[in-house]
Amino acid sequence: MDIAFTGIGVGCGAGHGKPAFRHALFDAPDLFGVLRREGRESPADTPPFLGVEMPDPPDILPPRQARTASFSARAALSSLAEVWDQAGLDAIAPNRIGLIVAGTNLMAREQALALRAYSDRLVYVPPRHGHMFLDTDICGLCTAAFAIRGFARTVGAASASGAVAIISATEALRAGAVDACIVIGAMQDPGAHDLQALRAMGAMGAPHFADQPGRACRPMDRDHDGFLYGEACAALVLQRAGDIDDGAILGRLLGAGQVADGTRGPEPISAAQVQAAERALAEAGLTAADIDYVNGHATGTPAGDATEIETYRTLGLGHARINATKSITGHPLSAAAVVEVAAVLMQMAEGRLHPTRNLETPLDADFGWVGPGGATHAINHALKFSFGFGGISTALIIGAP
Amino acid sequence: MDSERIFGLLVAQIRDTVPDLETHPIARGDVLADLGVDSMERSEIILAALEEIGLKVPMVDLHGPRNIGELAELLAAKSGG
Repeated sequence: MDIAFTGIGVGCGAGHGKPAFRHALFDAPDLFGVLRREGRESPADTPPFLGVEMPDPPDILPPRQARTASFSARAALSSLAEVWDQAGLDAIAPNRIGLIVAGTNLMAREQALALRAYSDRLVYVPPRHGHMFLDTDICGLCTAAFAIRGFARTVGAASASGAVAIISATEALRAGAVDACIVIGAMQDPGAHDLQALRAMGAMGAPHFADQPGRACRPMDRDHDGFLYGEACAALVLQRAGDIDDGAILGRLLGAGQVADGTRGPEPISAAQVQAAERALAEAGLTAADIDYVNGHATGTPAGDATEIETYRTLGLGHARINATKSITGHPLSAAAVVEVAAVLMQMAEGRLHPTRNLETPLDADFGWVGPGGATHAINHALKFSFGFGGISTALIIGAP
Repeated sequence: MDSERIFGLLVAQIRDTVPDLETHPIARGDVLADLGVDSMERSEIILAALEEIGLKVPMVDLHGPRNIGELAELLAAKSGG
């Protein structure tokens, strides 16, 4: 049963809404800088954390709800409002619409700030924090503001959360549980504790470009030295293709694969990545030769990039064009896959591929990298990789409308 | 702290918590629920007022009052004012 994408809503460092994201993708402006949001201060005598922060989302909620809504929730509502109109969800019965919010520990920075603020007056902790510390608070705010009454839940798979949420949405649609399923890659909002841990583990860069934030995020480039965090958020609407007009279809989810690597930490396993892609290709009834475009997980960590290239080589993807959306947006962690599927769909619509910023000397010249100049290309079958800590490897195959 | 000052604190907290009531007149005889304040907002308002008064009272001890004036009286009694 064909599953179609029928709506895109997005927010990133360049702003909220598809026009800002289109500008970010195809003009690839430098969005990187020192992280300035309260609660992201690096330890004393260490370089500041670098990455991408987004402008304030537009006000969707009335002040009474907005007052206690997290930054992540307000960004989610902005993307939700955008897809709601594009997919015409007012025309679908509320109990036939589902919502899946991708990600876990989404509001860690604000929780750390609250912990600090109430550490010496714990008895006065606002009662509402009893539901605000749960990621489902975003489900609650979204379903209170929009007529979603089928189901609402969160799904976590680290940086592959968005891909796994998309897989969950297709399962709900195929089971007939709902007629439309919204997937939100909610903005993951890490605080200094999380960022420092990611830096200490060697995953987050970038020691070599501390003074040049715009050059620091270099997926698949020989001078890469770690990923850079980026605030971003996206929403997608999925529906059964048979239920809707072809004209409303932005792209089709043809296959999906998820593999448990059997590892706990951040180490990537190429064999599992290959297997995820093979499962997705098998479901789509395609082979690697049919894939003409790969949107890499491509974070810019030395081990991650090298392992992913090994995966491309094993699968035989030398003929495909490949780019890295994180070179523009930074790494949105749990939101990454939804943001990047939005990027795939928008590149499909435009007939061109966005640049990979800072890809000056590719790690392996044998692949069809899209460098800093971008490329013209009509995508037919895209392969989207997403990997997460805790041994999670996923692949999605997205076909043109 | 006397009942009149505590009533003033409560009104300020109500208006902060429920911006819809910013310009709505609020009297001692008003009932929070009748003003459209939900139970979670009621807890937020009372806890914020308790902190301003410097009072530590379990919420379950504050369920008796029938209106905002009576709540102010009760908090005044507990604060020794």
